[in-house]
Amino acid sequence: MSSRIVNLNVNPCKMCMPLGVVNAFYGVAGCICLLHGSQGCSTYIRRHMATHYNEPVDIASSSLTEEGTVFGGEGNLIRGLDNLIALYHPEVVAVATTCLAETIGEDVRAIVRDYLAGRPDCRVKIITVNSAGYSGTRYEGWFRALRALLEQTDADASAHAGVNVVTGPLSPADTRALKRLLRGTGLDFTLLPDISDNLDGGCGAPYSRLPAGGTPLAAIARMAGARATLEAATFVPEEASPGRLLEEKFGVPLFRLNMPVGLRDTDAFLAALEELGGSIPAEEREERARYLDAMVDAHKHVALGRAAVFGEPDLVYGLTRLCCENGLVPVVAATGADCPALKAVLEEEIRPVAENLMLQRFSVLNFADFDDIEAAVAANGANLLIGSSDGRRAAHRRNIPLVRCAFPVHDHLGGQRIRVLGYAGAMRLLDEFSNALISNLEASFRKTIRDRCFGGREGSAAAGKAAGSNRARSATHPCFSEAAGHSFARIHLPVAPDCNITCNYCVRAFDCPNESRPGVTSRVLTPDEALERFLRVRESMPSLRVAGIAGPGDALANFEATAETLRLIRREDPEVTFCLSTNGLLLPLHAARLAELSVSHVTITINAVDPVVGARIYSQAAYMGMRFRGEAAAAMLLSNQLAGLKMLTDLGVVCKVNIVLIKGVNDTHVEDVVRKVKTLGASIANIMQMIPVRGSAFEHMPMVDNKTHEALRGRCESILPQMRHCRQCRADAVGLLGEDQSIRLREAAPAALSSVPAAPGVESPVKVAVASRSGVVVDQHFGFAEQFYIYESDGLSARLLEARRVAGKNAGCGGCGNRPLPEGPEEVEAGGGKIVRALEAVADCGVVVAMRIGDSPSRQLAQKGISVFSTYDSIDKAVKDAVLRCRGAAAADSRFL
Amino acid sequence: MDAKSEVLSRYNAKVFKSRKDHILRLSRSEGGSAEIAANSRAVPGIMTNRGCCYAGCKGVVVGPIRDAVTITHGPIGCGFYSWGTRRNKARAGEDGKNFIQYCFSTDMQEADIVFGGDKKLRQAIREAVEIFHPKTVFICSTCPVGLIGDDIHAVAAEAEKEFGITCAAFSCEGYKGVSQSGGHHIANNGLMKRIIGSNDTPPDAKFAINLLGEYNIGGDGWEVERILKRIGYKIVSIFTGNGSIEEISRSHLAGLNLVQCHRSINYVAEMMKSAYGMDWLKVNFIGMDAICGSLRDMAEYFDDGALKLRTEEVIAEELAAVAEDMAFFRSRLEGKTAALFVGGSRSHHYQSLLRDLGVRTVLAGYEFAHRDDYEGREVIPDIKEDADNKNIEQLEVERDPKRYRVFLSPERYAELKGRMELESYAGMIRDMPDGSYVVDDLNHFETEAFTALLRPDIFFSGIKDKYVLQKGGTLSRQLHSYDYSGPYAGFRGAVLFGRDLVMGLQAPAWRLVTPPWKRQPAETAAQGDATHA
Repeated sequence: MSSRIVNLNVNPCKMCMPLGVVNAFYGVAGCICLLHGSQGCSTYIRRHMATHYNEPVDIASSSLTEEGTVFGGEGNLIRGLDNLIALYHPEVVAVATTCLAETIGEDVRAIVRDYLAGRPDCRVKIITVNSAGYSGTRYEGWFRALRALLEQTDADASAHAGVNVVTGPLSPADTRALKRLLRGTGLDFTLLPDISDNLDGGCGAPYSRLPAGGTPLAAIARMAGARATLEAATFVPEEASPGRLLEEKFGVPLFRLNMPVGLRDTDAFLAALEELGGSIPAEEREERARYLDAMVDAHKHVALGRAAVFGEPDLVYGLTRLCCENGLVPVVAATGADCPALKAVLEEEIRPVAENLMLQRFSVLNFADFDDIEAAVAANGANLLIGSSDGRRAAHRRNIPLVRCAFPVHDHLGGQRIRVLGYAGAMRLLDEFSNALISNLEASFRKTIRDRCFGGREGSAAAGKAAGSNRARSATHPCFSEAAGHSFARIHLPVAPDCNITCNYCVRAFDCPNESRPGVTSRVLTPDEALERFLRVRESMPSLRVAGIAGPGDALANFEATAETLRLIRREDPEVTFCLSTNGLLLPLHAARLAELSVSHVTITINAVDPVVGARIYSQAAYMGMRFRGEAAAAMLLSNQLAGLKMLTDLGVVCKVNIVLIKGVNDTHVEDVVRKVKTLGASIANIMQMIPVRGSAFEHMPMVDNKTHEALRGRCESILPQMRHCRQCRADAVGLLGEDQSIRLREAAPAALSSVPAAPGVESPVKVAVASRSGVVVDQHFGFAEQFYIYESDGLSARLLEARRVAGKNAGCGGCGNRPLPEGPEEVEAGGGKIVRALEAVADCGVVVAMRIGDSPSRQLAQKGISVFSTYDSIDKAVKDAVLRCRGAAAADSRFL
Repeated sequence: MDAKSEVLSRYNAKVFKSRKDHILRLSRSEGGSAEIAANSRAVPGIMTNRGCCYAGCKGVVVGPIRDAVTITHGPIGCGFYSWGTRRNKARAGEDGKNFIQYCFSTDMQEADIVFGGDKKLRQAIREAVEIFHPKTVFICSTCPVGLIGDDIHAVAAEAEKEFGITCAAFSCEGYKGVSQSGGHHIANNGLMKRIIGSNDTPPDAKFAINLLGEYNIGGDGWEVERILKRIGYKIVSIFTGNGSIEEISRSHLAGLNLVQCHRSINYVAEMMKSAYGMDWLKVNFIGMDAICGSLRDMAEYFDDGALKLRTEEVIAEELAAVAEDMAFFRSRLEGKTAALFVGGSRSHHYQSLLRDLGVRTVLAGYEFAHRDDYEGREVIPDIKEDADNKNIEQLEVERDPKRYRVFLSPERYAELKGRMELESYAGMIRDMPDGSYVVDDLNHFETEAFTALLRPDIFFSGIKDKYVLQKGGTLSRQLHSYDYSGPYAGFRGAVLFGRDLVMGLQAPAWRLVTPPWKRQPAETAAQGDATHA
């Protein structure tokens, strides 16, 4: 039993017993089945068999209704038998029970005995089989049917030289091949059952409702007098074994063999036939030689195969052995039936082959469903599925080829013509396995090799290696993996004060909300100070994985400070991931050095790939001692960004591209940007709405609305993965995304608002609403705030009055961008409602202090006479400063929005 | 002797008696009856095509709801056999949930039958909730469950409390009723009791409708949706193809119910009328005339000038877009004949499309229909109750005092009722000419016998008789699953349907095989269609 929770079967890898019964009786001449139970069983089983075999499958039903379940189904069964016999004139009728008949305790044997007793003229042989769907699977049903048939047939035990051959479920084509072989041996044989004609008939002869092919009843009767029985089914339960019955009842010696699948078991089967006096046809020997040749030809392909084999016990065993003898490792072998004996022999078979290829892991699953199988496929790295078409869903999900060679095949043609038996069957399977693997290899060869040797791009092997480990680092980088954002922390070290370009959405003096610059409100650190801060934070924050440099200017415009900081930290910490963000102007100069400094992740802000568009965003650029303006500036910046991106990705550095989405400027251009950076190897794009900053050139530009923004991300998603969990962090942020702790961890109070004019005398206190998650720092966007801390302050002291929740907000959601924004009109309306509710929550306050605030809420607050301050600081200080500023300076500093 | 007598002559007295009223040769002009026996027990032993109650409930109605985890409580067979077999397509909604590809079963073993399976069911629900986090879990029971007395409803109620989900149980044991039909009814009752009306978020659109009895086989529902959206309708919910609990829970707030497959879903339409006052309109989106008629009826119902104008615009555009293809396919199919044997409404619906393509229907029958599906809704009061249909719960639905709305004035209602199939349907027989055959619950033998006698060029039915027909040299198209094709609904679907028929009839292989009646002297074929002589 696997580790699966066993009460819920998710996607079954087995079928029910009545199906097996019917399936086996389709190999008996002149036989028709009647399922005693609800008519759904017949209908479902007909449907499933017909779809697989592409042949008529006719199964009668006693059509029990509620009345039958109460008063017994005898009447229905008798009428059913009457009608069936009258219409079809069968020689044999097989009455099989279903869950319903078994649960109400129908004694079908007695009913049939009485039925025949009352109809002395009836020459029809009626066989009854107990086959509750809950007592076993198709596999057991198949053998139970054959056993019942032998038990209930009037045996002719007079000894003869013939040999009985009993098989488990085979395809019609395999049955035909087996018959041809048996005929070739010259042995007198009875094959039970023989579905070769009835489930794979030709076109041309008039269609007969009654299956005409199959093993005749007279031959079945004579099985009792045979010289021996070969039962080619390893795992048949003793109590259901037809061969065992013949042995016990009539003394016919039983030889149980494996199903003749693959070299060894076909050899053994032929040897057994030879031992019984059969002569093996020369063409079998030739076929064997050809199979050996095929094995040699295929080895180079199949040795790369890691198969998951699933299905009924005998077939799984046979296919597993076939794989193993070809050096194709079955890393998963699973049956849906409950067959504990299978596990040990499969393990014995697989282990040496697996060890030979240094594979530690393979799984043998009993009583498994496809949920188990798929989990094992993923865990063990299978690259080939072998079994029925029920594996197609897993195959599709995992992008692994499926070789369909077992019942049922519902999505392809040719279920009736499956070949697995003998050398010829093995050859065919081997070709199919090889070809499936080859197709997959061919389809992915270039990419695999490129990734393995060139790190996803043309470049050095070292870069390839770096690319692999750099990509692996993404898993613990909060900005490159959303999941990491919840558990791993990063520190941004503000060591780079200068910038070398001028963006129209930015005012250098202040926090740039668009490109994560804290402006002058926080201190710039020297490399030594940065190291010190890093070490201190690391001590108190075990989840710290990433050290980044994000400004406050451009990391590369201050390259010496940046490089020195990284060097110092690397000396102290060989593990931490280095990350950097830049406008890219100086990338071509420094890309190689960055890789040497083991920077694994770089974010480049690329807002355009067309200088004409770029010129509307950037007003100037300082490069190599020259100042460029307009399109010249843009052209140079853009070409350096793109060249730098390519250089970085060639070096195996994982690159994110940030795009500031500016309505009417680059909003129709963004897809081109994403497409271009994709070709240059960027791994992810982060499209951010521009937030208009007072005093900037784009001060009066409208923001792109959430719906358009999200739709754009959706379109770009098909080109390149999109980062949706960006919090537009500050350049000195510390901690988990969205839980900034930089204030707590600053060593000295920032000089930001300290130069505020002194309080002009005592005035009555003002109510101040503070957007904060922590309650310590102003760390929330106004629109995302789940609560406001309401303070009262006269500018000299601040007193907390209450923490006020914003109506209708769920804790922990906050619309913080870590899930797709709403699309439908209703939801957009609801999104608007969020702001409305935030506005309502602060309606009685005179001042609002938030880390950031959108243009429209800012205007709405202003209309209500509420002053708005945007800052990032401890609450106490921010509140007092805001009140003072509000009072003291009629000409409020344009630092504030 | 006509084909009916010919076929019946092969039966013994008992079977003759049970089958004779299920077969009609239409001869109304000569005073022949147009009444048919239906929805009675199948004759044991003669290979009915019918399925069971579980198939109707789980397989047809409940199964296609994409965001509910439906657990089959029973042995493995039932769950396995109803896994992905109906080709009801679905794509995940915004929540990303789509369980259509999954089969969930309690896989009962012998011990569960002996000692009861409710413990296992309880655990299975827990596991499903833990692994898949569904908001809704459905439980469908199978034959043995009803017999051993597992109280699935109690287990469901417990699960609701414990996990804070919606958990509804359906006692749809296979032996209930006489066919799938009982299962539809049980499913409808469950949806009405537990899902419909459980969410009062208004649809916020002027022309909001539900589409009932559309299971999105091969994407039919998506084509219909396309057309309705073009015109300006807001589809609140679809029962149940590509449907979701979220949508169905607010379906009572739509302005009109459209009923496509009346057999499987008319109960819901009726119950919603009683509870919420919503009118329902029989529609048919298969075949040009039928689609246009349905669209015009809808516009007329809402009585809005702009809507009517837009309807006409869309009709004109859509017709023009497919006109050339349809004309071509018609030129290839003109004069062919067809037999149809499907479900409880398609055999009727497709006759409209076949007429568009110049194909005449010589025989049509339903697998699990009731008399009203054949003869029109007005015969319902005359249908005698029997033991089998009494076993299916008839839900008494009361008016919901808060949410009951009146949509039409009595005068307008009466006026419209005279002009369209408002809360009614005329049934199949009225649309079929004299001389054609109507056969209820056609079986294996009758399929073969009628095919030999009537020699249709195409037989539309399912997989179970597909190979019987093809061995006999007759083209078979599956109208349950569309043979991996579709959609067939709507304007674009009609073109695909035409293409599939031409493709089928022109397959080179047919020229290499000979149907039996061409091989044998056709003494029995004298009654067949003259065009085949």
